[in-house]
Amino acid sequence: MLIANEEQELREALSFTDSMVPERISADAEIVENGLAKLVLSIIELVRRLLEKQALRRMDAGNLTDAEIERLGSALMKLEEKMAELKRSFGLSDEQLNMKLGPLKMWE
Amino acid sequence: MTDVDLEELPLLETLDHLLDRGVIIAGEAVISIGDVDLLYLGLNVVLANVDAIIRTSQPKK
Amino acid sequence: MKAIVIGAHLLRDDIEPVAAAVGVGDLYLSTLEVPDDQPLGDRELLVKVAGLRGRLLDVATFVAIRYGFALSTPDDALAKCAPHLARWKRILTAHREHVEMTLKVVASSTLSRPDRHDFTSGAGYLRALHAARQAADVDPQFREAAERVLVPLAVRNHWQHRDEKSVELALLVPRDRLDDVKAAGEELRRTNPEIPFLLSGPWPLEVFADADRE
Repeated sequence: MLIANEEQELREALSFTDSMVPERISADAEIVENGLAKLVLSIIELVRRLLEKQALRRMDAGNLTDAEIERLGSALMKLEEKMAELKRSFGLSDEQLNMKLGPLKMWE
Repeated sequence: MTDVDLEELPLLETLDHLLDRGVIIAGEAVISIGDVDLLYLGLNVVLANVDAIIRTSQPKK
Repeated sequence: MKAIVIGAHLLRDDIEPVAAAVGVGDLYLSTLEVPDDQPLGDRELLVKVAGLRGRLLDVATFVAIRYGFALSTPDDALAKCAPHLARWKRILTAHREHVEMTLKVVASSTLSRPDRHDFTSGAGYLRALHAARQAADVDPQFREAAERVLVPLAVRNHWQHRDEKSVELALLVPRDRLDDVKAAGEELRRTNPEIPFLLSGPWPLEVFADADRE
């Protein structure tokens, strides 16, 4: 059963999944040459987002000490900073990293 | 940002329920920050993808 | 071959012949056998597993296990699942006639994501991220309407913030009330044409399989 209202707005607002879900991968050599940097950065970004999400879930549960909160928060800030540096080094923008490997979007 | 056409909504929703919910069974891959364990199995799916991509893009002998 | 695990079930007959059953303690895991080198992130495989979940749910309610767990040997099952078995048996028995429904609602008011440059402490940043997510709120009239028509049909209900842009109501509903849930969803859509929401299901025990939800 699926009842949806205002579907267009719904799709734009909801991020259905954080996972990277490719279709059948074509044996396109271009993927290797041009895509590896993007791929690696995309994976790091995915991990960063998952870590953030999980840290927030732990915040919800309320079972973190102040020291743990400080440590998680610092680590997340550093990860973001690192991602920004890497993107600059590779000359890749957020737009370019927003790879769509199939009909499912990866992230906003 | 999405370019999925309207019939796909049930599929998106179904896959969201498959991938982003459910009991996490502790696996070998655990990512922690300090002593706080945060991620269990999610990484296996991503690693599997990279493997498939690298394998299928290698020239066939 | 490796066995991708789908769910935890009370009876072997709840699984066969739709999927392969692996005994674990008093319970059974539903599995799908695939070659060892089959990547788990393959979209066709995901769609197949999603289909199996639906068919298994048609037979009986089960505890959903997050996709990604695969067994190389049957002994893996007990080793990995042992800590969960007593709890699973309890909830599978208690909720044998229940299924989950979820109502996702796009937030009408949100706080924009904090900028890490505005923070000198990790704790400050993380707390701000958390606050931004908790700030996502549903139109109060819609929330009240949703609760009014849906909560009476459910044995359990739980609102949660899954992300910055939406809020979700998870409901544990008896199977024989699903038609009423559908009618309630249609009514919500009729009476709230401008609120983007999605009512979906039925699903196996997901939110209500969490240790925190018992």
